[in-house]
Amino acid sequence: MVNVTAKRIAFYVGIVLIWQALDAANLWADNVFPSPYEVGEDLWYGALDGTLWYGIGTSLWRLVAGLGIAIAGGIVLGIFMARVPTVNQTIGSIVLGLQSIPSVAWAPLAIVWFGLTDAGIIFVTVAGALFAVTINTYTGVKSINPDFIAAAQNMGARGTQLISRVLIPAAFPYMISGFKQGWAFAWRGVIGAELLFSFLGLGFLLNVGRQLNDVSQVIAMMLVIMLIGILIDGFIFKRLEDKVMSRWGLR
Amino acid sequence: MAKLEAKNIVKYFEHDGQPLKALGGVDLVVEDGDFVCLVGPSGCGKSTFLRIAAGLQQPDGGQILLDNRPINSTGPDRILVFQEGALFPWLKVRDNVEFGLKIAGIPESERQEISNRYLEMMQLTKFANSYTYQLSTGMKQRIAIARALVMDPAVLLMDEPFAALDAQTRDLLLVEMQMIWQKTKKTIVFVTHNIPEAAILGNKVAVFTHRPSHIKKIISIDYKRPRLAEDEGLSKYQQEILSELRPEVKKVD
Repeated sequence: MVNVTAKRIAFYVGIVLIWQALDAANLWADNVFPSPYEVGEDLWYGALDGTLWYGIGTSLWRLVAGLGIAIAGGIVLGIFMARVPTVNQTIGSIVLGLQSIPSVAWAPLAIVWFGLTDAGIIFVTVAGALFAVTINTYTGVKSINPDFIAAAQNMGARGTQLISRVLIPAAFPYMISGFKQGWAFAWRGVIGAELLFSFLGLGFLLNVGRQLNDVSQVIAMMLVIMLIGILIDGFIFKRLEDKVMSRWGLR
Repeated sequence: MAKLEAKNIVKYFEHDGQPLKALGGVDLVVEDGDFVCLVGPSGCGKSTFLRIAAGLQQPDGGQILLDNRPINSTGPDRILVFQEGALFPWLKVRDNVEFGLKIAGIPESERQEISNRYLEMMQLTKFANSYTYQLSTGMKQRIAIARALVMDPAVLLMDEPFAALDAQTRDLLLVEMQMIWQKTKKTIVFVTHNIPEAAILGNKVAVFTHRPSHIKKIISIDYKRPRLAEDEGLSKYQQEILSELRPEVKKVD
């Protein structure tokens, strides 16, 4: 463990050193290739005057709202697809196609429908994550040991009780993968939509950096977006997945 | 009095796109308190018959009666114990056992009281808070039996529940199963492909023919209990079952 941490630190220090060395070599102009110090300075000022925190907060709230809707909707849709043949034959046939649409491609439609609002950005986020959750939930419910369902029905479980006490818990290990995928799509959706909508959030700050020709801000925002991604993935989804896998006896 | 009655049950399987008649008119009367073992050549449809009796599959012909009333759907009056247990890995042993009671909306204190009784009967008390995947196959089948008994079903249906157990565990559970039957006075229908097992457990053994199958013979076993695997007096019953079964097994299609 110590060894891994040490390797990682050495790796990141190495990157910063190479970056610094490239900057010192003066191969490119400063407004095209900023030094790590300038990027750090940019983050520092952003943190001091609060714009950074406000941007993070805005993007995160959109992420949570969009992902929440996508998870709830995806579970319902996935279960219906898995249990009702007609739903699978109709809606199911289009879900894979919808999944292949990059979430940012929904943005123009969202602008027309919702204007430059939070709702529009959340719409793009939902569109990005919904189908990943749906497909994984569908696969999860389809993979349930049929004896589990038969045993539950035999003991009197029907309808919503069957769904909440057997279908969802039995499919949960698959659904977690859907949440993980869905979250990654949702995060891309949020940032992408913010770039296009130019309405607050980290994507907006990134775009402002480009408009002001402030490349250090662009890179700073990219680093923040990545860092949040690593944190959410590692601290929320990885842990949730580990917990579920061991609880379900799959690991 | 007839507890469970099967009248002319017919069931087709799909085989290479062709309908294959598996059950060709099964008639069976299970009296209240009977312990009936069903034996038959593999593929004769005895497990399917049990699922039809549980209401988990619909027959293509015929009728199942419980207390003289026809039944069409599944329900906790006929609980099936599955070959692989079908325990829920996301629940602790106690929650597995209480599952059906929870579905029935029985309040927690009462649920605990009932589950405690059967956890103790199946010697599971100290594993009540374990998850099922932490336990051996034998323990899992005990949990499955406890989960069935808490529902106090009119008929207990068991689908080769001991098939995957090692010999020692099986012998132990064979004795326990007899004691459970005597203690609870349950009506039990038990599918097995193991002739000694059938002779030890059943007070009646019904022999299925090769498919399209029906029940060709019911052998009554009048012998003291608890019966043990090594009881020599059982061998004449085993011989009798075997002599009925052997010609069926030889019919290969």
